[in-house]
Amino acid sequence: MKTKTISAVARKEYYHLIRDFRSLYLAFAIPVILILLFGYALSLDVDNIRVAVVDYDRTDLSRDFLNSLSSSPYFLITGHLRDLESVSTELDYGRITLAIVIPPGWTGMIRSDKIAPLQIILDGSDPNFSNIARTYITAFVDRYNNRLFEDYLNRHTLGKIKPPLEGRIRVWFNEDLESRNFIIPGIIAIIIMIVGAILTSLVIAREFENGTMETIRSLPITASELLLGKSIPYFFIGLTDVLIAVLMSQILFGVVMKSSFLFMILASSLYLMVALALGLLISSVTKSQLIANQGAILLTYLPSLLLSDFIFPVTNMPKILQILTYLVPATYYVDILRGVYLKNLGFSEMWPNYAVLAVMVLMLMSLNIVTLRKEGL
Amino acid sequence: MTPSGDNVIYAENLTKTFGAFTAVDHISFSVSRGEIFGFLGSNGSGKSTTIRMLCGILMPTSGYGCVAGHDIATEPELIKKSIGYMSQKFSLYGELTPYENLRFFLGIYKVPARQWEGRIRKAIEMTHLSEIKNRLTKDLSQGWKQRLALASSLLHEPEILFLDEPTSGVDPVTRRHFWNFIGHLSRNGMTVFVTTHYMDEARNCDRLVMLNKGKTVISGSPSQIIGSTCPDRPNADLNDAFISIMS
Repeated sequence: MKTKTISAVARKEYYHLIRDFRSLYLAFAIPVILILLFGYALSLDVDNIRVAVVDYDRTDLSRDFLNSLSSSPYFLITGHLRDLESVSTELDYGRITLAIVIPPGWTGMIRSDKIAPLQIILDGSDPNFSNIARTYITAFVDRYNNRLFEDYLNRHTLGKIKPPLEGRIRVWFNEDLESRNFIIPGIIAIIIMIVGAILTSLVIAREFENGTMETIRSLPITASELLLGKSIPYFFIGLTDVLIAVLMSQILFGVVMKSSFLFMILASSLYLMVALALGLLISSVTKSQLIANQGAILLTYLPSLLLSDFIFPVTNMPKILQILTYLVPATYYVDILRGVYLKNLGFSEMWPNYAVLAVMVLMLMSLNIVTLRKEGL
Repeated sequence: MTPSGDNVIYAENLTKTFGAFTAVDHISFSVSRGEIFGFLGSNGSGKSTTIRMLCGILMPTSGYGCVAGHDIATEPELIKKSIGYMSQKFSLYGELTPYENLRFFLGIYKVPARQWEGRIRKAIEMTHLSEIKNRLTKDLSQGWKQRLALASSLLHEPEILFLDEPTSGVDPVTRRHFWNFIGHLSRNGMTVFVTTHYMDEARNCDRLVMLNKGKTVISGSPSQIIGSTCPDRPNADLNDAFISIMS
């Protein structure tokens, strides 16, 4: 392998790149758009659950119950309705997720130590969201119950009795349980994979389509020199995209790395090489820029999104899909990034993931060399 | 025939099959240093397949070939270093300027960087490319492109130049210049192997091989070929010879 040959190819590839603005736009627009879209639109946090209330009781106690509900950050009371009919209209139009109906005589029942029912209606069409809403409202009712219970004990001068158990919860790693901290590493993984693979998916196919592959074949250049030379400019573009993504997540979303930036860049470089090698392979197998481009999107975007533990937990998947996730490079990279962003983990804990990515690079590059040799290189 | 010091290209029973189709069928010939050697034949007669085997691009199915002292089956990399090849279809980079294309080839051929400017200047002067060296290659006319392709195949000062139908789609004046230039190269010791289907051009060759369906039909100098195919017609040219052989 000669550096002069490699740099001649890299220089030529650089000229292609700066004269074809479409691929440059692609290279820098994709990260910005994806970060903005996923960062702002995709939030798995549930707050401001819209609630409508019907208060048939209209006492101090029912008003107090509703006041403490509205003072919780998780609930937003959007309206005090007159009857059940309007509740069902509100639910139909999706203006509320939750409705609470306080029946007449509610306070009376509490005062006479009877069980006082409270009707809670939940829109279950988004099961994920309504599950969380159910947990929140259950916890809220429990807490209010405890307060009433303490009042009861106090009234009967039994105030010293306390419930025996008290769970003290302390959250580690993502102390505020912000889903953004969890999502950002996944977005970075998707961005690098897409940009890397899409850009390189064009570069070998272009030689075939323009007939310049015949020139390449007649030159004293080896397959590995060609592949390396073609990768270099895209490697630097990919690294720039990593920096853009890191800066945007820090400035816009306040997501900050806990571990060293060096581990992040090392992992990103390896992962980027996987993406570049995959794009090159797709390119030389399809020999068509159009097909290669579509193939690259299909083979990188979907698996990285669905099978990388990014949004969809791998542990909930059927066995066969769980096995497939081991083949997806993003699985290992997302894991490293979560370690870097959330847990202050470094190379000593994460080295197996780095090793898997390195093996993937070597395997894909070998496949690339074999494919190009068959083409007469 | 055996490969000798003077035979820079030597082929013995060279054969290439693609599945059931035999593109080149037991061809044997040799070319000595400084010769302009012409490969004639209609489209699909096996000219390009032969040239691609000799350039180390295509592996022969059977037979032996030797170019610039290197075996075409085992040392294609060494052959590629000592030859220049201009393919039938224009295949330089359209998005690059002629100057950038030339630099690309210099880098690939590992020419020392301090010689680059000199080589480029020489190539541009030789092929009169100076006025277009900074335009994009894709915007050039066919004649310019052809000259640029020739210039880039000569940059590394090869021993042997392979030209696959170099003048297709070029106007007669440019074609005349082109052949004058090839004559100049040959007088300076370069071996030129050229395929064509223009019979008037073939006269410029020292020796010719005519191919049909992958087989050698006749070989010799242009006058030998005319003499042996049309013995009773003193005014016959290569065109007549070709027609009488094919019919």
